[in-house]
Amino acid sequence: MEELMISSENLAKLVDSFLKEGMDVFVPDSNRFGKINSSDKLVLDPSMKPTDISAKGVVFPKVDPIFHYKKDKEKVEIFETEPGNKQIVFGLKPCDAASFKVIEKVFNWDYKDEFFNRRMQNTIIFGLACTYSDEYCFCTSCGLSPVSYEGSDLFLVRLSEKEYSVMVVTEKGKEVISKYKDLFSSANAQKKTEVINSIKAPEKKFDSKKVKDWLDKNFETDFFNPTGEICLGCGQCAFVCPTCHCFDIVDEDYEYGKGRRMKNWDACQFYHFTLHASGHNPRDNQAKRYRQRVSHKFKYYIDRFGAILCTGCGRCSRGCPVGIDIGGIVSQIENLK
Amino acid sequence: MNNIYKPYLMEIKEIIDETSDTRTLRLQFRSEEDKKKFSFKAGQFAEYSVFGEGECTFCIASPPTRMDFIECSFKQVGKVTNALRRLNVGDTIGFRGPYGNWFPVEEMKGKNIVFIAGGIGLAPVRSVILNVLDRRTEFGDITIVYGARTVQDLVYKRELNKWQERKDVKTVVTVDPGGETSDWKGEIGFVPTIVEKTAPSSKNAVAIICGPPIMIKFTLPVMMKLGFEEKNIITTLENRMKCGLGKCGRCNIGNIYVCKDGPVFTYFQLKVLPQEY
Repeated sequence: MEELMISSENLAKLVDSFLKEGMDVFVPDSNRFGKINSSDKLVLDPSMKPTDISAKGVVFPKVDPIFHYKKDKEKVEIFETEPGNKQIVFGLKPCDAASFKVIEKVFNWDYKDEFFNRRMQNTIIFGLACTYSDEYCFCTSCGLSPVSYEGSDLFLVRLSEKEYSVMVVTEKGKEVISKYKDLFSSANAQKKTEVINSIKAPEKKFDSKKVKDWLDKNFETDFFNPTGEICLGCGQCAFVCPTCHCFDIVDEDYEYGKGRRMKNWDACQFYHFTLHASGHNPRDNQAKRYRQRVSHKFKYYIDRFGAILCTGCGRCSRGCPVGIDIGGIVSQIENLK
Repeated sequence: MNNIYKPYLMEIKEIIDETSDTRTLRLQFRSEEDKKKFSFKAGQFAEYSVFGEGECTFCIASPPTRMDFIECSFKQVGKVTNALRRLNVGDTIGFRGPYGNWFPVEEMKGKNIVFIAGGIGLAPVRSVILNVLDRRTEFGDITIVYGARTVQDLVYKRELNKWQERKDVKTVVTVDPGGETSDWKGEIGFVPTIVEKTAPSSKNAVAIICGPPIMIKFTLPVMMKLGFEEKNIITTLENRMKCGLGKCGRCNIGNIYVCKDGPVFTYFQLKVLPQEY
């Protein structure tokens, strides 16, 4: 893989060039990945806490129109939606960048979800090596690290206030910077190695294989009951999660006789998520729903798609109003007999 | 772009009220081209929609041997089924499908078939029954046991009568005790009891069972007693679904997607699944 360097000043120029080309540029603030309209707003701080809400919305928005309709008496017409703009996302931590590769599997294993795919094709990801770590982080337990470039098209490591190393990971990444070669200089491998070696990775909390072994054998369990008792079923864990991908399909009229059908984010922590029309509910209490959340992430998705449905970003725990910490819970599972 | 969520447009050609709250719609493709390329197998399901209200999952209740219409039957329960009931003949609905697997009708050739259904659970079974009756000579003995809570709750009454008149089909219709009318001539008793009384032979036989979970639960031991093998007892699961395409994550039972790996399962397959259906 090609290794380059770019100065902070030139990185700002690169952002302005992308904006000039008409692309949407997203950067993180404390809350989310938002669009910027000039490089003045560009802050790439590797020590920043992960955004409250993950970056998945850039390829899988919380509300995604799948078509528009027009009703006129008994007639109905359907209108397809337009593909979105080309978009560049800066500053994804490895736990966010990797999530795109994880959810790509479910959107493509059989039928292909082109809403997800066309956004992925239109998206260039500039990952950023992460120096943040708190008690909720556990990327290292999910096969990642603060310097994993999985899912990034280009991967940045901030070497100093003034410069970044740039790893060109994919062809797509190579292409997007090809016009701006003069903004880059040759790599400083030694400095990069020094910086990478100085990053302290979060401690490994659990062995995901051992966790799966236990989940394989213990569907019937009272282990999740205490969590079920405190969980409010608010669904925030799924909404802030970079890998939760469940959705609802909902219609909305926006004016008389006209409207849209949408894919909306949904969450398995809601009672109505699995409620049958008859009133029967296969997951009729919160403990069962929390078991589903953990099992989907650390067993079912692995069985089905060969990947852990979690990147260890810790957002669900950081944001939980009643302090449910998935890393802690899964660590306990590892030690269960 | 291939939009997997985009429905076909269909016209309601006929409305048949089965009971006070259950209705059958006869649908036809608005586009001739869609009609030509559409095919399905008995047991598959679809997403039906009222634009502005949303989508609902029902099986295709008509058989693949009768392609002039697609039929669905539904009970008025929630937002979309209520909206469906407000539609009239000539109105347009959305239809996505067919989805999921199907009953192994081809593997059932030459075998005796026992159909057991309760309430609106007859809808998916009806697709197979009509399919098999349309190809009657390819199959052995056919037994149908159908029950509902009351006489008023029996669906497809016009067809039940026709099946009862046929000499090449044994049809037993029952209502729960207390659900009979003064002129009721059928059986009185719960489905499992009537299955035991009817005692269909398990020799070279396949059983298809659909109905409320409680009915299935008490019918299974009877089937075991009659000597049916677990792999020859077939049912469909009714987990809540939205996409039908293995994406939205709603119908999962453990690592299976009911919308892709099902909805048709043998009792043998069901036994190894987590109890989450």
